[in-house]
This record gives sequence, C-alpha cells and structure tokens, in this order.
Amino acid sequence: MSLTRSSSGGITRRGALKGLAATSALAALPIGARAQSATTLRWWSPQAAPAQLEAYQAQIASFEALHPGIKVVFEKTSDEGYAPQLAAAFASGDVPDVVTHLPSFSVQTYYANGLIEPFDEVIEAIGVDNYYPGANEVFRTPDGKHCATGIGNSAANALWVRRDLMADAGIGKIPETWDELRAACQAMQKGGIFGAPLPYGRNGMTSLIFIGFIHQAGGQVFTPDLQIALDSEATRNALEFYRSMRELCPPGATNYSWGESLTAFVSGATATGIYTGRVLVNVRDQNPGLADQITCATYPRIATDVAPWTFNDFASVFIPAQSKNKDAAKLFAAYIFDPPGYIKQLHAAPGHVLPVLRTIGENPAYLDNDIIRKYSAEVELMSAAAAGGYNLGYESAAHQSNAKAGEIIAAHPIADMVQRVVLNGDSMDAAIGDAVKAIDAIMKA
Amino acid sequence: MTAIRRVLFNLFAWTVVLAVAFPLFWMIVTSVKPQSELFRRPPTFLPETVTFEHYWTLLTRTGFLDYFRNSVILSVATTLTVVAIATLGAYSLVRFRYRGRESLAFLVLFTYLLPSVVLIIPLYLMLVTLGVSNTIFSLVIAYTTFALPYALWLLRSFMAGIPEDLESAALVDGASRMGAFRDIILPQLLPGIISTALFTFILSWNEYLYALVLVNSDAARPLTTGVMSMLISAFNIEWSLLMAASVMMSVPLIVAFAFLQSYLTSGFGAGGVKG
Amino acid sequence: MAAPRQTALERQYSLLGLMLIAPTVLVFCAVIVYPLVSAIYLSLFSVFTPTLQGGWVGLENYRSLLGSGEFWVSLRNNLVWTAGTLALQVLFGVGMALVLHQNLWFRSLARSLILFPYFVSTVVAVLVWKWVFNDLYGILNHVMMAAGIIDWPVDYLGTMPNAMISIILVGAWKYFPFVVIAVLARLQTIPEPLYEAARIDGAGPVARFFDITLPQLREVLVVIVLLRAIWDFKEFDLIYLMTGGGPVIATQTLPLLVYKEAFALNRMGMAAAYAVVMMAIMLVFMVLYIRRTRERRP
Repeated sequence: MSLTRSSSGGITRRGALKGLAATSALAALPIGARAQSATTLRWWSPQAAPAQLEAYQAQIASFEALHPGIKVVFEKTSDEGYAPQLAAAFASGDVPDVVTHLPSFSVQTYYANGLIEPFDEVIEAIGVDNYYPGANEVFRTPDGKHCATGIGNSAANALWVRRDLMADAGIGKIPETWDELRAACQAMQKGGIFGAPLPYGRNGMTSLIFIGFIHQAGGQVFTPDLQIALDSEATRNALEFYRSMRELCPPGATNYSWGESLTAFVSGATATGIYTGRVLVNVRDQNPGLADQITCATYPRIATDVAPWTFNDFASVFIPAQSKNKDAAKLFAAYIFDPPGYIKQLHAAPGHVLPVLRTIGENPAYLDNDIIRKYSAEVELMSAAAAGGYNLGYESAAHQSNAKAGEIIAAHPIADMVQRVVLNGDSMDAAIGDAVKAIDAIMKA
Repeated sequence: MTAIRRVLFNLFAWTVVLAVAFPLFWMIVTSVKPQSELFRRPPTFLPETVTFEHYWTLLTRTGFLDYFRNSVILSVATTLTVVAIATLGAYSLVRFRYRGRESLAFLVLFTYLLPSVVLIIPLYLMLVTLGVSNTIFSLVIAYTTFALPYALWLLRSFMAGIPEDLESAALVDGASRMGAFRDIILPQLLPGIISTALFTFILSWNEYLYALVLVNSDAARPLTTGVMSMLISAFNIEWSLLMAASVMMSVPLIVAFAFLQSYLTSGFGAGGVKG
Repeated sequence: MAAPRQTALERQYSLLGLMLIAPTVLVFCAVIVYPLVSAIYLSLFSVFTPTLQGGWVGLENYRSLLGSGEFWVSLRNNLVWTAGTLALQVLFGVGMALVLHQNLWFRSLARSLILFPYFVSTVVAVLVWKWVFNDLYGILNHVMMAAGIIDWPVDYLGTMPNAMISIILVGAWKYFPFVVIAVLARLQTIPEPLYEAARIDGAGPVARFFDITLPQLREVLVVIVLLRAIWDFKEFDLIYLMTGGGPVIATQTLPLLVYKEAFALNRMGMAAAYAVVMMAIMLVFMVLYIRRTRERRP
C-alpha cells in the first residue's frame, strides 16, 4: 500500500470517515471548543530532565522576548512513548510544531510518509558551515532534501565502569572483548552488586542496544541495499553472549529500559553501565561518592578485529508538516541553536548530548564547565565515538537510508527475539526466523 | 466466643487487613524518605529522616498541579453532565410507559458492560474529525461512554427503591409530573444522586486508557497519564517522587472516604449485585 | 404504577417520558451506538494510523486475525488472567466478608482499609506494586530474603510464570473489595433464626457455613462472578501498566493487543477487527448476566 499517495480515484479513508461523522448527532457540537492562539508553538522532546527543562525555559523566555507575538509551550514525551503519541498526533492533525531529540531513523520514517516539513531552510539559517562536516548526512532524504537537523550526538552504548570495583577484583584494564567483559562482570558481581544492567525488556532500548551487539559481532540487520541480513552467525553469537550475560544482570533487567539501566549503575547496584554521558551528571547529583571512580570506553565486541560500533541516535530537530505555524516554528527551531541558549541546554547534561556545531564544540563558553573539564578524556572519547556512530536507519556509511527503521523499533521484533531466546529459552532459529518475518512484513507494508 | 478466641480472631483478622493495606502504608513511607535512604539495601522500614522535599518538588518543579487541575475540571464536568442526563433518564425509565422502554433499559445494561477498547478507535477518529481531540472537552465526551450507562444503571436502581404512593398523592392533589419530580422524587433520590456522583467522579478520576489515546498535550492531560509519564523517563527514576504523586493523587479519595463512606457502600448495592 | 385512566393524560405522560429520555438516547447514539457501528465498519478496512490512509479489505482482517498465533495466545492469556484473578477475588472476598461480618474491633476502620484498593486509581496501585516488586530496592524481595525463603532477588514482572502470577495477584488485591462489600450486604440479610436452628441441631461453624451461608449467598455470587468476569476480561490499565504484555507476549491480553495494533503497529483496521472479535467473545458473558438480571427484575 502506498502511504504517501492518497488512493487515486477512489474515496480516501479519511473522506469516508468525515462523511460518517457528519451524519452523527455529534457534528452539531461546538467545534471551536479548542480555541488556541494562532501563534502558540508546541515543542516536544523526550529529553526533559529538570535541569534540561530549566535550560529550555530560559531559551523560550529569550525567544519570546525577541518575538512578542509568539508563545512557546514545552511538552515532554518519552523515549519509549513517543511513537504511539506521535502516531496519534499525526492522525489527529493536532501536532506539535517543533520536535527535538527524536532519533534520526524515526524522523526518516515520518518523512517518508509525508508527515514532516523539509528542513533545509532552517539548516541554512543555522549556517551550513557551522556544522561538523557531514553532520547532516543522516538526515538527507531520497528526494535530496533534509528532513531534520541534528541537535546533538550521543554515544548511547558507552561502557561505563567503576575503577574501585575493578581494582578490588584485580582487573587491570577496561574490557575490550566480550569474553573479557563477561569475566570482569563475574569477578565484580558480589556483595549485592550485579555485573551489568543490560536491558532485556520488550522495548526500544533492548532493540537499539541489541542491534549494537549484532554489529559488535560483525553482523548487520540489513545489507547496504536493505535486504534483511539478520539471520546470520553474528546474530547467533550476539544472542549467545547476551544470554550468557543474563545471570550477571539484576533480576528486574527483564523490564529495563534507559531509566532503569542508568539508575542501576548510578546507584551503585551494577559494576558496569551502558549509557550516554548522562551518567556523569547523575552521579554528581545522586551518588557523588562514585564521581572519582567512573570512566567509560566504547562497548566491547566479540573480538578486537571487529571494529567498535557506537549507537548514536542522532538526536534531531524537525517540524511536522501539519504544523499550523510553520514559519514561527522554523524561526524557533533555528533559535534553539543560538549559542548562549544552546550551550546552556548542553550543559544541563554535559557529555550526554554532544554538540553538532563545530562552532559550539570549540566555543570556550561550552568547554567552561566543571563536568566537561573533570571528564575531558571521557567526553572526548564519546564525542569521537558518536561522530562515527550509526543506528538502524543508517547502519553504516555504505547503507541506504532505511525509512522503515522507526516502525521496526516501535514494533519491537528485535526485542521480542532477544526475550524469546534469553527468557523463554526458545530456539534461536525459530526466534530469528520470526523476527525476520516480522521485519519483512514491515518492510513490505 | 470466649475472650481468648476473640483476641486471637481479632489478631488474625487485623493481620490480614493490615497486609492488604500494606502497599498503601509503604507508599506513604516511601514518599517521605530522602533519595539517599531509598537506595539503601536492605531498605529501612520506617524512614530514618522524614522529608517533605518530594512533595515540594512535585508541586513546584513538575506539571503535577496542572494535571491535578485538569483532572478536577474533567471529573467535575463529566459528573455534572452525566448525573444530570442520567437522573432524567432514570426517572423516565422507571416511572413512565412508552414503546421501546424495555429495549432502552436493555441497551443501557449492554453498554454498562461494553469494553471501552471497542469504542476507543472509532471514538478517537470521530473526535479527530470533529476537531476536538486533545482537549478536556474530548475526554468528557469519551468518559460519557462509560459513565452514563453506569450512572443510569445506578440511578435506575435507586429510583426503583422510592415508593410510588407519595408521587401519586401529589399528582392527585394536582401537581404536574415535573412538579412532583422536583418536590417529591428529587429529595428522596438525593442520597442516590450523591452516591452516583461519587462513583462517576471516581471513575473519571481514575480513567487511563482514553486519556492515553485522546490527549497528547500537557494543557489537557489528566493526572493518570501525567503521573505515569513521570515514571517512563529515560534520565532518572525517582520512586519517592512517584510515591508522593500517588499520595497526592489519592487525596480526593481519602476525603470521600472520611466523609462520605456510606454513600460509597450504598452505590455498590445498586450497581447490579443487589438481591 | 397506578395507570391513569384518561388516554389523553396517558399520551401526555408518555410524551413527557420520551422527552426525559431524549438526552440519554441522543448521547447514547452519538458516543456509543455510532462508534460501535463504525468499529465494525472500520474493521473491514486497512488503515495506516498516522496518515489515516488506507483501503477496503473486506474480511481480510478477520481472516489474518484468526490465522495468527498472536490472537490465540492473547485469548488464552486473557482467559488465564480472568479465571485466575476472578477465583482469587471470590475466595478472598468471601473470606474477608465473613471476617468483617463478625464483631471485629474497629470494624469500620478495617472496612475502610479493605475498601481502599478498589477505589484507588489503577495508576497508583501499579506504581506502588512496581515499587514493592522492585528487584534491587523492593521490600518484598528484601523481606523474603531476610526470612530465608529466597536467597536471590526474584524477578516478579519480567519472566514467566512470575509475571502472570503477579498481575493475577495484584488484580485480586485491587478488585476483591467489590466482592467483600457485595457479599457483606447479603450476609447481613440472612435471618439469624436459621443459624439458631442449626446450632440447636448441633451444627459446627463449618457445617453452618456450608448448610446455610453458602446456599444463601449462591444468588449473589453468581451475579458477582458474571459481572466481575466481564470487567476482568476487559481490563487494560492494570496489565498494560504492570507488564505491558511482556515478557514477549506472555501476559498480553486482547485489550492490549487492540491498543498495540492501533498505535504501535499503526494498523487501525486490524485493531478494530480485534476489538470486534473481543466483543463477540464477551457477548457470551453479557447475555448470561443480562438474562440473570432480567429474571430477577420481572
């Protein structure tokens, strides 16, 4: 079924529904019950920790001062919840005007369905030359435009470790291979502390993180021309390893997503962590005793001859096509990158969202931050890893952009596969086979 | 019953009651523990330090008050609409005769049992087409789908319990039907109306599914989905804050319990299980 | 009702009756009957949620639904959940009602405490239970480890059969007060002389329960079971918020499947088809209940 074109000749589904509704008694009800001021912009983001909210409010305040006719309202969504929320919003036509911090693959999916406004004007307004080279490649669309721009990079699957626990267990270096990681976790798992907080939930994090494991085993989900390549030795190896890690993760890891996994490491319940640089600020705020013990590295892989694979969601900024205030939205989207406000936003979680603008990354005001100074080695490592990072919509530089990646993550076939193998003890062949079938159905839909 | 048996029985009974109530006790205890104490293993049973910082954070740094306001508006609007319509409807169903009355009563009962998940998709599309989705008003419409049959069914049963002779006497004395309704029926129905209103309010207050699907903006989001969205955040999970939110969210209920408990219990009987 | 003799007055009354019921009928048609009909109509289409574009597929949705393993698994889960939680609600509810019927110290306080879970929001109940069940900091794991029952924290919500058992238990906790109150009201109407007579005949407490109490409760229990079966079968909030249907789809019931199809898989027509089938299944219970109520209210 072609999704972008409305069915030719025949009555469209929406038209049919309108007709149905018109005949109902409810059509007589007051439609103007939702009288909104014409220039109120709704801004959505799943990144909404209190410090980030404060930075956003500051940006909004200064923007509103510059443009007295426009009001901006921030509304948070969540990493696991944005897909159904946006689906409902798009369907109702009552959409946010600016959406930030969604992963690039979801944005490409929406663009392919005609739900997003091309973003090139805003990129021009921000200044093409201000970006790191190639920073917007991931947002390039098949029709040669851009569907969004990056608001920040992140190294979402960095390996976090505790030096104190490593020393206690006699581990000299940070694990680089899976075998080393497993051995280290086994050595450090004692006294109520678990080895790792890997997610085994039926959610986006499990899918996204496990895709990383497939690549760290030398595999891929799709070939560069988007044929499904999931059924491979690498996937089996990754599943095997992931299964062997289950006993080194907290019991509740079967329901872990980002928040639980992060909190487990920060609270000291696990010896290693898998997350972005947000670990730094959370440790400072919630468990400062660990501040001098933590450091990070790229996540281990099956063997050192496989290159590390960093999952970068390429957090985006985009404008839904149904927005009623596109011009104001574009103005605001560009203003988000205005240095003072943008730096404040980045400083709300230093090392978590890494700048995509070269002019910001080199800006002394950006570098002048306690956490960025204290953990300069870690931040640099994550920046480099994230810049060379990938995700399901963009598995390697050679891959075509995958416009169905957002739907694949939202429907969880990969998390299902992990759960079936690890929790249910189903055979790998059956689980992989069903995942391939489910992904194939989405690709063909 | 001898004294010892009586004591033993009471001990046993109260152990069970307290076990049932334990999660609620635990909710309150957790809400006043500082974050550092929360990560303690093993956990402390009673808080070593009592703090109200989470309540303060909840009220000043989250959208809790907005959600609370939305929930109040939404529940009050639903209750008023539904109880007004249902009182008239129940009066008609019980005290009048016309063709189709029996089928209507049957329809009410049927919709009383209907799962909201069946209605939610077309209802969602309808509200979208009307352009009212994402407002408190749209939720009031949606809540009517389960609250109206419920209220009708309750009030119908209360109405049936009011003796007819007073009304007949008033009619003989020359009162009009509506006059008799106002002067005779309404005062006697009042406890039933209060009970129905309470139930409708609580149903609306606690509703989750429609709020999840129909509303995506903080301006219209009620407490249920609002508080839940505090849990699913990727950056932190603050259990003490969530427990504080849970306590605050239950405040209207506690009030109802303290002052109006008999109305709550009488609503049970009318809800279809009365012999 | 004293039927008025005059046909004019009769006609006037029935007109008034119709006017009084008119708002109800209007609202019913608009927000219940019309959506119900369009749910059935919608189930014959294939609709992509974000764009609402799609086309007529006839009975194709139903065909693929009945052929999909997921539907049958969800139906089985739905039945397991309903039967499990309902059985516990009734057992525990009747037991608690018998206890509360006795002359308990602070009886009204006890009654309030028992009633509270039923009225508290499902969101609150789920948050509290998730915290109690927490793997690292949860009180339940801690108490059980301290008592030596387990020596490793238990994963209550993420593995089978724990997840199903947990939601059944929480469901029972949340809804058994309904049974308590309904049974308690009936207990209070059982004539005391019946017990006196039994006592004179030498019947012990157990015999009295089976010979007198249970037969007296039969009627009300049948109604409770039917009503609660219907309500438990359509439960969404509690299961969706506790486990989200996981692990994999081991606790996914039909209402969760409908939601998932509509808003996660973006197949609205398919979701409507699932909803219609679910309603068809529930009709069995509904008809039983409605017939029951009608018999008793001639």
